[in-house]
Amino acid sequence: MLLAKTLRSTTFRLALISIGLFGAVVIALFGYVYCSTTSFVLSRSDSAIEAELATLRNAYDKSGREGLIRAIEQRSSAANFEGGVYLLADELFAPVAGTLKKWPAVKGAGEWTEFRSDALNSRAGTDQLLFRARWETLQNGSHLLVGKDITDLGLFATEISGALAFALLLIFVLAAVASVSVTRRTVGRIESINMTSRAIMESGLGRRIPLRGTQDEWDQLAQNLNSMLERIEMLMAEVKQVSDNVAHDLRTPLARMRGRLEKASSESSAPDHDLSLITETMADLDDVLRMFSSLTRISQIEAANQTAGFRTVNLTEIATEVAELFDAAAEGKGGRVGVFGDKTARISADRDLLFDAISNLVDNAIKYGRDGGLVSIRLDQKNGETILSVSDDGPGIPSEEFEYVFKRFYRLERSRGTPGNGLGLSLVAAVARLHGANIRLFDNAPGLTVELRFPFIDNISEATDHRSAASVYSTPF
Amino acid sequence: MIRALRRVLVIEDDAETAKQIVDFLTMRGYEADLAVNGDDGLCLGESTEYAVIVIDRMLPTVDGLAIIRRLREAGVVTPALIISALGEVDDRVRGLRAGGDDYLIKPFAFAELLARIEALARRSATVVKETVLRVGDLELDLVARTVNRGGRNIKLLPREFQVLEYLVRNEGHVVPRTMLLEKVWDLHFDPSTNIIDVYVGRVRRKVDGEQAYPLIHTIRGVGFCVRAPR
Repeated sequence: MLLAKTLRSTTFRLALISIGLFGAVVIALFGYVYCSTTSFVLSRSDSAIEAELATLRNAYDKSGREGLIRAIEQRSSAANFEGGVYLLADELFAPVAGTLKKWPAVKGAGEWTEFRSDALNSRAGTDQLLFRARWETLQNGSHLLVGKDITDLGLFATEISGALAFALLLIFVLAAVASVSVTRRTVGRIESINMTSRAIMESGLGRRIPLRGTQDEWDQLAQNLNSMLERIEMLMAEVKQVSDNVAHDLRTPLARMRGRLEKASSESSAPDHDLSLITETMADLDDVLRMFSSLTRISQIEAANQTAGFRTVNLTEIATEVAELFDAAAEGKGGRVGVFGDKTARISADRDLLFDAISNLVDNAIKYGRDGGLVSIRLDQKNGETILSVSDDGPGIPSEEFEYVFKRFYRLERSRGTPGNGLGLSLVAAVARLHGANIRLFDNAPGLTVELRFPFIDNISEATDHRSAASVYSTPF
Repeated sequence: MIRALRRVLVIEDDAETAKQIVDFLTMRGYEADLAVNGDDGLCLGESTEYAVIVIDRMLPTVDGLAIIRRLREAGVVTPALIISALGEVDDRVRGLRAGGDDYLIKPFAFAELLARIEALARRSATVVKETVLRVGDLELDLVARTVNRGGRNIKLLPREFQVLEYLVRNEGHVVPRTMLLEKVWDLHFDPSTNIIDVYVGRVRRKVDGEQAYPLIHTIRGVGFCVRAPR
C-alpha cells in the first residue's frame, strides 16, 4: 500500500527525472574524458609516426634503398620508438624489409589508417595488435609504411566504458535508494495529514495533525493546517451558539403565543366563531414551528458533520419499517409501498436520521406518485456500495428540475397546491451528506427514482443496533 | 394511581410560560410549585416530594441539566421532564444522560405536556405485570400477541399490535403522537407529515370498525386516547 503510494507520488517522479538528468551528465562527462584522452594519445602517436617517416625518407634520400633498409633494421631494434612497426615493400606490395610479415589492408598513401596484425618482434602469443599507420610511395616505386601499436588505447576505451557502466550502476542504485527513502518520508508525512483529514471528516473537528518538532516545512504545514482547523472549530462553535440563541429566542415568544391561544381555546366561554379562528391560528403557528424545526434540524445535521452517534444498522429493516408505516397512507390513495432486494444491507448510520430521510422520500413518492400506484424501495449491494432507491410510477418530474429539488424551500410548480414546505429533500440531502452517501435522481419512466448510494465501509462492527430488534415487521420480498 | 401524588415542581425562568404551565396544571387538578431560577428549584426539589419535576433546559445562570444532576446526587429520584428550546438530537441525548426522564421541545401543546407528566407520574406508581389487557370488550393477549373484540379475532401487524398495546396500557390518558413514535418505533423526531394519524387510523379501522362503540379516540392537535364508554 505504502509502496504503491510511493511509486505514484510526485516526489518519486521528480526524483526519477533528476536521476535521469544526473545520469546523462555523468555519461557526457565520461564521453568527454574519453574523447579528449584518445585524441591526445592519437595525436602524440601520429606525430611520432610522422617523425619516423621523415627520418626514414631522409635516410632513403641520402643513401638510397640499401641505406633505408639499414636504417629500418637499426630503428626497429632500437627502443626509442616503442611499439613501432616498419615495412618496406616493392612495387607489388611484397615485403622487402621491416617488422610486418605482409602488407596490411590499409587505405591509400598519405592517409591515416588503422589495422590489426601480428608483429614480428612484438609480444609473442598475444592476440593481433591494433596499429595506426601511414604509408607513402618512394621514388623508386617501393612503398614505405610506418605504424605504431595503439592496442593500449583500445584497452583504455574498454576500461573507460567499464568504469562508466559501473559508475552509472552505482549512481542509479544509490539514487534509487535515496529517492525511495526521501519519497517514503514525504509520503509518510502527507499520509499522516491525509489520515487526520479523513478522521476530521468522519468524526468532527476535534483532531489535529501530529507535529514532529523538527520545525521543517512539513511541521509548518501541519501547524498552519492545525491553526486553520482551530479557526474553523471556533467559528462553528460560534455559529452553533448563535443558532442556539436564535432557536431559544424565537421559540420562547412562540411558546408564549401558543400557550395564550391554547388557554383561550380551552376557555369554554369563547363563541364558536372565535374558537375556529383560534384553532386555525394555532394550526398555522404549528406549521411555522414545524418549518422552523425542519430548518434548524437540517442546519444541525449539516453542521454536525460527525459520525459519533453512528451504529451499524440494517438498512433493509429500516426501509421495511418505513414501508409499513407509510403503507397505510398509500392505501388511502389505493396504492401500496413495497420493499424489494437485499435482505441484509448493513451500513453505519444514525437510525433516526435515516428513518426520517427515507420517510421523506416515501412520503414524496406517495404524494406525487400516481393514485393507486406502487412506491418501491429497492435495496442493492454493488461493488461494496449499498444502494437504496425509492421509486414511484407517477408523472415524475422534468429532468431539468433535478438539480433544483434539493434546494431549501424549492417547490415544483404543480406541487404548490399540496401541503409541504419544500424542505423534505433538503433534509434527505443533508442526511445523505452526513452519511457520505451520493444522492441522484433518475427518470423511472414513468415516475421518479431517488437513489442513495452509501459508500463501502470496511470496519462495520458486529455490535449491531439492537434497539429495534424487539419486533420487526417483515414484508414478503 | 388513585391516591398518587399530584404535586409538580416547575422550574422555568420565562414568567409567562411558567404562569401558563402552572395555570394549566392547576386547572387539571395538579398542585404546581414554581421556581424561577435554578437555586430555588434545587431547594424545593430537595425539600419537597413531587410526582414530577418540569425543568427548562436553559435557565438564566445555570444549565437545567446541572440542576438535575445535583438533585440526583442528593438522592432525589423524582422523574424529571426537560423542556427545551433546543431541538437538537444531541441535546436530547445529553439531557436524558444527565438524569432527565423525558424531553419536550418548546413550544409544546399543554395537552402534550400534561400527557407526558402523567406518564412520568404513572411510572413512579407501581407497574403491574399483566399478560392480558382489557378495555371494554377489547382483549389483548400479550403472550400470544392476539387481539379480539367481543370474541371476534382481529388480525394486526406486529407494529399495529404494539401501537394498540401502548394505547391500551395508557387507557384513559392522552398519548401524544411523538410519544407513540418514541415508544413504539424508537424514533426521536417529529415527522413533518400526518403519517402517525394515518397509521393509527388504520389500526382504528381494524379495531373499531363495525363495533358498537369506538375505543380509540383522536385528541386534536395532540394524539390519541383509548377509552371505553362509561
